[in-house]
Amino acid sequence: MKSRRDFLFGAGAVTAAFSAASVSKVALAALPELVSQTSPDTQAPLMPQNGRPYNPVVTLNGWTLPWRMNGGVKEFHLVAEPVVREMAPGFKAHLWGYNGQSPGPTIEVVEGDRVRIFVTNRLPEHTSIHWHGQRLPNGMDGVGGLNQPTIHPGKTFVYEFVARRPGTFMYHPHADEMTQMAMGMMGFWVTHPKDRHPLIDEVDRDFVFLLNAYDIDPGSYTPKIMTMLDFNLWSWNSRIFPGIDSLNVRWKDKVRIRIGNLTMTNHPMHLHGHEFQVTGTDGGPTAKSSRWPEVTADVAVGQMRQIEFLADEEGDWAFHCHKSHHTMNAMGHDVPTLIGVDHRGVVKKITELVPDYMAMGERGMADMTEMEMPLPDNTIPMMTGEGPFGSVEMGGMFTVVKVRREQKRNDYSNPGWFAHPPGTVAYEFDGALAEPHRRQDGGGHSMPRQHQHQPGQEIEVQVRKPSGHSDH
Amino acid sequence: MSAEPSLRSLRGGRLLVSVVTASAMLTGCVSFSPDGGFAAVSSAARERVAKDVVWIRSDSERNTVEQRVAELLAKPLSVDDAVQIALLNNRGLQASYAELQLSEAALVQAARLPNPAFSMLRASSAEAGVREFKIEQALTFNIFSLITMPQATEIERRRFEQTQRAVTLDMFRLANATRKAYYTAIAAAETVRYQQQVRDAAEAAAELARRLAAVGNWNKLEQLREQSFYAEAALGLAGAEQANLSAREQLIRLLGLWGYQTRLNLPERLPDLPTAPTQQDNIEQLAMAQRLDLQAVRLHTEALAKNLGLTKTTRFINVLEFGPARVLEGARDSGYKTGYEVSFELPLFDWGGAKVATAEALYMQALNVAAETAINARSEVREAYSVYRFQYDIAKHYRDEIVPISKRISEENQLRYNGMLIGVFELLADARSQITSVNGYIDSLREFWIAQADLDMALIGKPDLNLPDMPRASATAAAEH
Repeated sequence: MKSRRDFLFGAGAVTAAFSAASVSKVALAALPELVSQTSPDTQAPLMPQNGRPYNPVVTLNGWTLPWRMNGGVKEFHLVAEPVVREMAPGFKAHLWGYNGQSPGPTIEVVEGDRVRIFVTNRLPEHTSIHWHGQRLPNGMDGVGGLNQPTIHPGKTFVYEFVARRPGTFMYHPHADEMTQMAMGMMGFWVTHPKDRHPLIDEVDRDFVFLLNAYDIDPGSYTPKIMTMLDFNLWSWNSRIFPGIDSLNVRWKDKVRIRIGNLTMTNHPMHLHGHEFQVTGTDGGPTAKSSRWPEVTADVAVGQMRQIEFLADEEGDWAFHCHKSHHTMNAMGHDVPTLIGVDHRGVVKKITELVPDYMAMGERGMADMTEMEMPLPDNTIPMMTGEGPFGSVEMGGMFTVVKVRREQKRNDYSNPGWFAHPPGTVAYEFDGALAEPHRRQDGGGHSMPRQHQHQPGQEIEVQVRKPSGHSDH
Repeated sequence: MSAEPSLRSLRGGRLLVSVVTASAMLTGCVSFSPDGGFAAVSSAARERVAKDVVWIRSDSERNTVEQRVAELLAKPLSVDDAVQIALLNNRGLQASYAELQLSEAALVQAARLPNPAFSMLRASSAEAGVREFKIEQALTFNIFSLITMPQATEIERRRFEQTQRAVTLDMFRLANATRKAYYTAIAAAETVRYQQQVRDAAEAAAELARRLAAVGNWNKLEQLREQSFYAEAALGLAGAEQANLSAREQLIRLLGLWGYQTRLNLPERLPDLPTAPTQQDNIEQLAMAQRLDLQAVRLHTEALAKNLGLTKTTRFINVLEFGPARVLEGARDSGYKTGYEVSFELPLFDWGGAKVATAEALYMQALNVAAETAINARSEVREAYSVYRFQYDIAKHYRDEIVPISKRISEENQLRYNGMLIGVFELLADARSQITSVNGYIDSLREFWIAQADLDMALIGKPDLNLPDMPRASATAAAEH
């Protein structure tokens, strides 16, 4: 575990807004140790050293916050602060988060634990934390102005309640919410069951991540916080493909994945090669009678879904949001469709004016992954990622679930690409193709148009069929 | 001096001859100079602009000039060559050289004695068979001109010098106009090339749009939008071509070219901006010392002062004529009475006051004109220098800021195109706007060189700020979208 342990005043990222001169060192001694994380890698599960035992979760490209026991109370210390998050190798975002990362560390507790959370604000503006889905005293619910005064810069507030209900939760600010969530302030919360629970199965692997979205202009670093719907980066735990770690599991493992959605749209989460069941929501475990097999589960805005499956098919299985533009990184929305447009002659003319111009899109957008041309600073291609057979041509909310026989129990390391048994990979057919019969009547019409197209008005469609490399 | 022989015996005749001879010796002889005063012009051309000027008065001179012009036209024309051709070949300038001759002729005339006048009265009547005669013969000479001749000569000499300066100034004006026309013509040709690029970019976009629509990827509106940029770009190019033609013809006129000579070969680019603008702190003093219009106006004033002095001395006398005369009255044989005749107007009604007032007014007017010219010259030279500095800064700003920034914007747009963040049409629109900013630099560079020419002119004479500016072709409209 690469976490860096710092005391409050040793932390490097003290912002200008944070002035702790008003807080005495004696008072600080009462605070739990401040732990911070700078690596975006997936950290190994944090095995509980004290308190009630539980099976820890693994936060995708994230980590779990350590705690201290203080008179039977689990004490955590969250620090809201500006952070630099590597969203993918070569692309860093200036976000707000907790304890060095966005999203903040996952908080894991056990049903019935008394939890005390110190929240220090190192942001330039006030904040608060809402504990999404928890049963708790009204004054602990964290809605600034409604349940509590907001936490001003430099101030530390204490939240304290009993984690009454096992399940999947999250935390996020409820003060200047649109800004602070657009800037990446959020974190996961898991309450493990105290005892065996009839609706909560024991699992071998338990992954958690939050769905979040940003609008960061190519070449810039800071999200545009006024964006309402037109985000250009769709991320899991503030990571985008190819920056999202794979979910590495052992063959026949029972796998649970908990997903929370803090974007402004729904995400149909789709797993290849397996069926899963939704076993829980932020309302709690689902009744067994309500579960049915699925390969895609929609996670609506503000919801949490807990899906479970038996990883009994070996291989590298895609796992992604099924909105295809959510598996794209930043891309132009006003780029004209050039499919089938003959560029001959025009390219030369354009190149005389724009020497670095290359025709793209004539055959589709995959041109882009083949050319690897320079991009604006701090930008990664809209689709990329090199797989064993070539470019995966993905971005955003995409990763791979790797199921392996040889994976060790509790080993979360990446086993590399799957070695396919002979004869189990699609192959090229080299026989002759027969011309299929096609209907020529254009299909029957229940309500034929009264005015038929005049002959000669047909649009000329030039279907460019693959014929080796076109010369551009 | 061929007086009538019959008068030679007259006493007054001898007197007249001696007066005339003495006067001629007094004034000295003024004759035509071998160069007709052209040396002053040609030495000014050599000293100030290092150019040759020829006053073409013979076929051989004409041939030499034509040969020289042909040599200069054989290679890409530099600004100095252009000025040289204009100074040799411009017919308007040659025409102004004739002024020198006219002025010198006036000077020579002023130094010549007026011709003596012979008058004769012969009357007779026959009374009772006897014929009575009255004969009066007089040979008179306007001796007043002897008094005024030195002064008149001096006035004409000054006028001649004035003409020399005026002609020299014409020559410098022509040099200045040629420089400006030269820079304007090069910039106009450069602008045409850039407008062609703008048109090409718009044409490529229009063609691509047509193909997009042809395969069904674009609607008519989108296609027409690109088509309209193309149409506007074509208009911009047509305007630039027209401006280029006008600028070139203006230069051709100043160079006095015709026929095959008009295929003159201009360089492709304007000279680069100098690394630093010229610093001139004593620019006003320099202008005061150098400006030919100031010298001319000073000479004019001096001439008028002389004139005034002359008018004052001669205010009462209009004509004073003097000469021998003989009179015969009565019978033919009664013999001539000899004597002399003096005639002058009595200033009974005209005391010459009006003449003096006129001369005084003219003198005072000239004094004020001279003062105004000096004040204006100081102002003109200050203005010319500040325009020069301003244009330098503008051109430098274009070169160091606007053009590089638009280049960098294009580079960033290229990166965005690479990432499929923008489309090819935005890339082309950006290329158009980059071309426009380069064109803006060309315009500013042209303005700088014109300002430089005007500054040079302002140090020699009144800058010709009225030279028609070539219309600027605007590519902005085509680039904006």
